[in-house]
Amino acid sequence: MTTATAARPDFVQSNPVLWLNVVAGWQAFVSLASLAGIYFIWQSPTTPYWLQVLTTIILLLAAAASGASAFFIPRRQHVGRVLSLAVNYLGFVACLIGAAQALGIFISFNDLANTFGNGLPFLFIMFLGYLVSAFGDRYEDNQPAKEKMFRQAGQLIMLVSLVIFLFAINVLSGLLALAQRYDSPMPFGLTAGVIFFAAAMWLMWQQTLAETMNANNSSTEMLNGYLFLSPNLLGFLIFFGGPLLFSFYVSFTDWDAFGTKNFVGLDNYRRIINLTIVGLASPDQRAADVFDIKVYDELTRFSILGSGYVIGAQDKLFWLSLRNTLLFVIMAVPLSVIPALLLANILNSKLPGMKIYRAIYFIPSIAAVVGIALIWQLLYNATIGYINYAILMAVTLINTVFNANLVDPQIRWLSDSRTAMLSLVIMSAWQTMGFNTVLFLAGLQNIPRDLYEAATVDGANKMQQFRFITIPMLAPTTFFVLTTTTIQAMQLFDQVFILINPPSGPNNSTLTVVLYLYQNGFQRFQQGYASAIAWVLFAGIFGLTLLQFQHQRASAYEG
Amino acid sequence: MSNRTSTYLTNALAYIVLTAFAFIMVFPFLFMFFTSFKEPKDTFRYPPRMLPRQTLDVTVAGYDKPLPLYYVDDNGQQRQYALAESSIKIGIFAAPDKLETKYERPIKEIKPTGGFMNQKKATVNGKEEPLFDVEVDGQTIPMVKTNETIFGKFIDPASPDKTLLQNVRLSEPVEKLTAHPENYTEVVELQNMGRSLTNTTMVTLAVVLGTLLTSVIGGYAFARLQFPGRDQIFLVYLGTIMVPFVVLITPLYQLMVLIGWVDNMAALIIPWIFSAYGTFLMRQFFITIPKEIEEAALIDGASRFQILWYIFMPASTPALATLATFTFLYAWNSFFWPLVIINTGNEANHVLTLSLNVLRGRASDSPNLILAGAAISIIPPMIVFILAQRFFVESVTSSGVKG
Repeated sequence: MTTATAARPDFVQSNPVLWLNVVAGWQAFVSLASLAGIYFIWQSPTTPYWLQVLTTIILLLAAAASGASAFFIPRRQHVGRVLSLAVNYLGFVACLIGAAQALGIFISFNDLANTFGNGLPFLFIMFLGYLVSAFGDRYEDNQPAKEKMFRQAGQLIMLVSLVIFLFAINVLSGLLALAQRYDSPMPFGLTAGVIFFAAAMWLMWQQTLAETMNANNSSTEMLNGYLFLSPNLLGFLIFFGGPLLFSFYVSFTDWDAFGTKNFVGLDNYRRIINLTIVGLASPDQRAADVFDIKVYDELTRFSILGSGYVIGAQDKLFWLSLRNTLLFVIMAVPLSVIPALLLANILNSKLPGMKIYRAIYFIPSIAAVVGIALIWQLLYNATIGYINYAILMAVTLINTVFNANLVDPQIRWLSDSRTAMLSLVIMSAWQTMGFNTVLFLAGLQNIPRDLYEAATVDGANKMQQFRFITIPMLAPTTFFVLTTTTIQAMQLFDQVFILINPPSGPNNSTLTVVLYLYQNGFQRFQQGYASAIAWVLFAGIFGLTLLQFQHQRASAYEG
Repeated sequence: MSNRTSTYLTNALAYIVLTAFAFIMVFPFLFMFFTSFKEPKDTFRYPPRMLPRQTLDVTVAGYDKPLPLYYVDDNGQQRQYALAESSIKIGIFAAPDKLETKYERPIKEIKPTGGFMNQKKATVNGKEEPLFDVEVDGQTIPMVKTNETIFGKFIDPASPDKTLLQNVRLSEPVEKLTAHPENYTEVVELQNMGRSLTNTTMVTLAVVLGTLLTSVIGGYAFARLQFPGRDQIFLVYLGTIMVPFVVLITPLYQLMVLIGWVDNMAALIIPWIFSAYGTFLMRQFFITIPKEIEEAALIDGASRFQILWYIFMPASTPALATLATFTFLYAWNSFFWPLVIINTGNEANHVLTLSLNVLRGRASDSPNLILAGAAISIIPPMIVFILAQRFFVESVTSSGVKG
């Protein structure tokens, strides 16, 4: 680590003041160019209005920051250096992304897939090379010569296979194709931007210039911090923060994904949650007599204290999907969590072979839901499936042993509206049980042993120990398991989509909220309405999360 | 009951419960594995059975096609005979005065008693029934037809003259264990699974490498560098782990439309390499590394990148492996987003989950092919799981207990 200091380029070192002035001049130029950019963006008639506004805001900020840094750099105030670095870095990233987008680098993943398969064997050899090099660790302490040999051999293998890999996937012709796309001013301009911003940034980053600008340790650390965080933060803003805000906005419009959006206020939300409850004169009175059936669909009827009521909903399908989702949560969560708790308690005994069982239980949770659902679809088959066969065997066994007269139910699991949801519940519980078991096991292993020892001395039996030590000490884990399983269950989609055909199920009995969202957003293309459904679902999930956070905080203070 | 027997019984009970659950957990995968090696007609057999079997054929002199072998009962002996003819009409005959003794004869060979024109009749159970001449041990006895059925003609492969009539449906075919690994090549060709396997591998590798990169440097910044707004940004990151993906799906789709990534694999890669969860995980690991080593390196003039690369990276293999395995599973198994962003018709861009979705409809009459496809998508993560089991369990543990 002693030789870490990089060699400094002499031409910068010898005359920092000159180069600072160059950068200051560059910043002034960027500031003016940004203002010119604003003028041009409003001259272009094809640019959509929102993009014009957004670009104007960004360019105004860039112009202001760049101008300020051109002002502060000659005064040797460090804020000038920070602003200059920020503007140049962001300019660099913007030009880089723009150039990559203009040259079609991102979308060339599709072409890469044509040749990527050829390279896979060499990637595997590269991995073997890594193993060889890691094998050197064994000789780290006593045989440095052997360690070095393994490391170098491994690195050589990795390097050679990397080169062959790049050739095999035809990177060379890809680069040539890239060069041919430099046929318009756009990629040239963006590439020039990349080079100039990078150069200005590099100059300002130099030690001599930093010292001239009165940089200190904490300012260096701050710049490093932003630099390190920036890839993550920028990606996060582009692909998460921005879309999140946009989604919120879209949920107040009637957008169909292609046409213009009209702001409709709370209409989407009102349509989702609009319910009416009306009293009935007689239990079989027609719904049309009591409310406007152009607005409401009859959802359900019930009676309290002898008088009947009917519930009408403006969007009947949403309420059905909500009911189905809640039904799924209520059934699937206990079915997954309670056996997991039992299994974890058994696994926590120090018997031999527990690790093997733990590994086996974990397997279902690593497999793709799509693959799992295809397997279960066949297991659930009404005529030849194993599940009905097992039921038949059980019925026959009971009949012979107890001389009973049970009839084989012959359940049509997936096409009967009474069992379709149950099929999903069983499959999902099966898939998540092992994961929850491992979570519970981790929680159990954190309970101090001496608590049990003390209880045994005091004469508590196993049941009492479970009731008064395990349950309370495991409460934080239980809560975590319950909330995560519930949150996951509320987003049920993949399972339904593959297992049930059509996914909404017989009589809409497996229409879940996310499935309804998918149908609205991507089959009917009512994206405004779909966004509103997403936010309603999010509100529910957020409530649960908040509950979990508060619980965890409370238990952290107690603990 | 002594204390020792009671412990012994408890342990036995524990193993029984554990094994029962292990069986339930593993059974669907065994079913998938074995069914993927079956031939189509074997998958529709009832009662269902696990191992793939195929019927045996035998070539018999005088027949141009190989004949299927069956177990037949030849005078109390179980023998393997070939089925030569399958739909021979059989009449079940009995003498009018002795209805309980039944004889089965091919209808073609039986002549009416007294000739076709003047068939004799007998009264049985108050009804007039026509009589037929049935030969029993060299004697011809007039009998009535009580029923009809269809038999098959079985012949001894060793001596084709020796024939036997028997109900085919009640005869067990001779079968042997088999395996049809060609199901895999067939499904690969049918659904272009080779391409979708390549696509999935490429997407997964890119997402794992990208996530590791951004998470490591982001996690380092959160763990070790002081800058204004750090803790606030971290809090926002924490909060977003809880935002369900469905909230993002429509706006993210719109963003992809805007930048022209719809039906493009870039949409499966680039948005997914910025992981709040990964950053959080790496940050949690990095804050446990002692500060002293880092400070010494800083005094020696090492840059932050050098510190991260030479000190932090080698020390964080477990955290990196955890993040890599989790990201691997997430990318490999994801379905909803590819379903939305990749066109169903464009099979060149399908990942495995999308291929399976199409295969489900296309091969609905061959479960063996569907499950071969499912196996192609499930076995790679299983191998990763076996190799990196320790890290899986560790990561679940850390995510669960520390929250």
